[in-house]
Amino acid sequence: MPQRRVVITAASAISPIGHGRKPIVESLVNGKSGVAALREDHLMSRFIHSRVYGTVGYPIAYDFSRQYRKTMGPVSYYACQVAREVLEQAGLPPDFVTGGRLGIAFGSIHGSPTVQRDIYRIFFEAKDKATFQGIGAVDYLKSMVHTTAVNISKMFGITGRIISSGTACTTASQSIGFGYEAVKYGLQDAMICGGADEYDTITVAVFDNLLACSTAFNDRPGETPRPFDRARDGLVVAEGAGAVMLEEYEFARKRGATILAEVIGFACNSNGGDLILPNLDGITKTLRLGLENAQINASDVDLVSAHATATKMGDIIEAQATGRVFGTQPRVVALKSYMGHTMAACGAVETVLTIYMMQEGFIAPTLHLEEIDERCAMIRHVQKLEEIPVKTAAIQNFAFGGVNTCLMIRKLT
Amino acid sequence: MTRQEIEKEIRAVLLREFEVENPEPDVNLREAYGFDSIDAIELLLEIERFLGTELTQAEKKKAMDIRTLNQIIDYVEMLAHHRKNEAEKA
Repeated sequence: MPQRRVVITAASAISPIGHGRKPIVESLVNGKSGVAALREDHLMSRFIHSRVYGTVGYPIAYDFSRQYRKTMGPVSYYACQVAREVLEQAGLPPDFVTGGRLGIAFGSIHGSPTVQRDIYRIFFEAKDKATFQGIGAVDYLKSMVHTTAVNISKMFGITGRIISSGTACTTASQSIGFGYEAVKYGLQDAMICGGADEYDTITVAVFDNLLACSTAFNDRPGETPRPFDRARDGLVVAEGAGAVMLEEYEFARKRGATILAEVIGFACNSNGGDLILPNLDGITKTLRLGLENAQINASDVDLVSAHATATKMGDIIEAQATGRVFGTQPRVVALKSYMGHTMAACGAVETVLTIYMMQEGFIAPTLHLEEIDERCAMIRHVQKLEEIPVKTAAIQNFAFGGVNTCLMIRKLT
Repeated sequence: MTRQEIEKEIRAVLLREFEVENPEPDVNLREAYGFDSIDAIELLLEIERFLGTELTQAEKKKAMDIRTLNQIIDYVEMLAHHRKNEAEKA
């Protein structure tokens, strides 16, 4: 099957450490955390032990008319905003955008929980027919699992294929990977890829009940999560969105697009077993498949963006797998240390941040990594900001359900 | 309820709930304002609220071909008339 080169021509993120390149780079350079106190939802938040959350705590100037707003839950606001930004950055011709050769790969972990919660409130409290009619005609469109992708399609008139992965923490990394494959094999010429998740107490409650959330820093939110650090005590749930524009290389070059990086490989596999526990063999295999798919050697990789959620076992298993495959040469950064775990968005947000670091010529340190856990010490951690060029990066993400991904990107010289 | 009162109410609902400002009475709302089937369903709920009556499924289905403000007013006028007749018979 003919294979084509795939490049990234635009990138944007709404994250707890900022919206777009400048504020995000400033946060990375200055070691600024985006973790804040857990938001009060007047429902179950008071029962949650973990009192920290990766918060998008700044206003976003949305400019969506009602025609679009009427089918959008909060998650689609995030998604459509970052999609708009990558479309503007990429500057694709309008007839191409609507012509069927541009597709969308975008997802969230479960649509819009805010809207779902309102539906179920009516479901459980309905006493009469009038209350039942409180379930709006558009509530499904706002809350369904592919709501982000189709709202992007509607807003920009995009008529290509829709891929809407919903694999928890690998949602966005799969979006980029499957988008990459769609362009690589000629099914589309360009893809908007990413993921988004809105604030959701239920997600925090789920991890809290699994004893996976950070609780020891409730009075100091800005000091957690602490990937690979001895004092780490769990993940911090977060909100946000990230998107990239993928294009076929020759198409991008001929139209004079700015090329931020090339996607050179992608791997995805599953552990075929436990749905929660990290699996050393499964992850190791994914990373090896990533190298194989990119047709590069481990020694070619300069930087690893680790999934590193700051859970006890997850970080150890990832460090072991990373050490097995890449050894001690590539620097390893855990970007969730800055903002927590943006769930469905994390693969895209971390890809966007890696691109920013490639462009700016630095590697941010893993925040709060003061004392490396000796069980995670077999890899080359970054503890201070390093001003060095990054040519090739591996972006690792793993999800509940035993899904693993590895995306390989390279800066074009 | 007079036709003028119905028109005033519908115009207020269109502005408040659908951001449709001062539509011409015979303009196609779908073409001019993107007023689609989803909006039509929501408008029916608003009509039920201000008429203070529940619409049957058959009545609702009749509304699906409505395209203009004048047609909406005709529809509400017809509903109001039916409800009045039903009340008088009862």
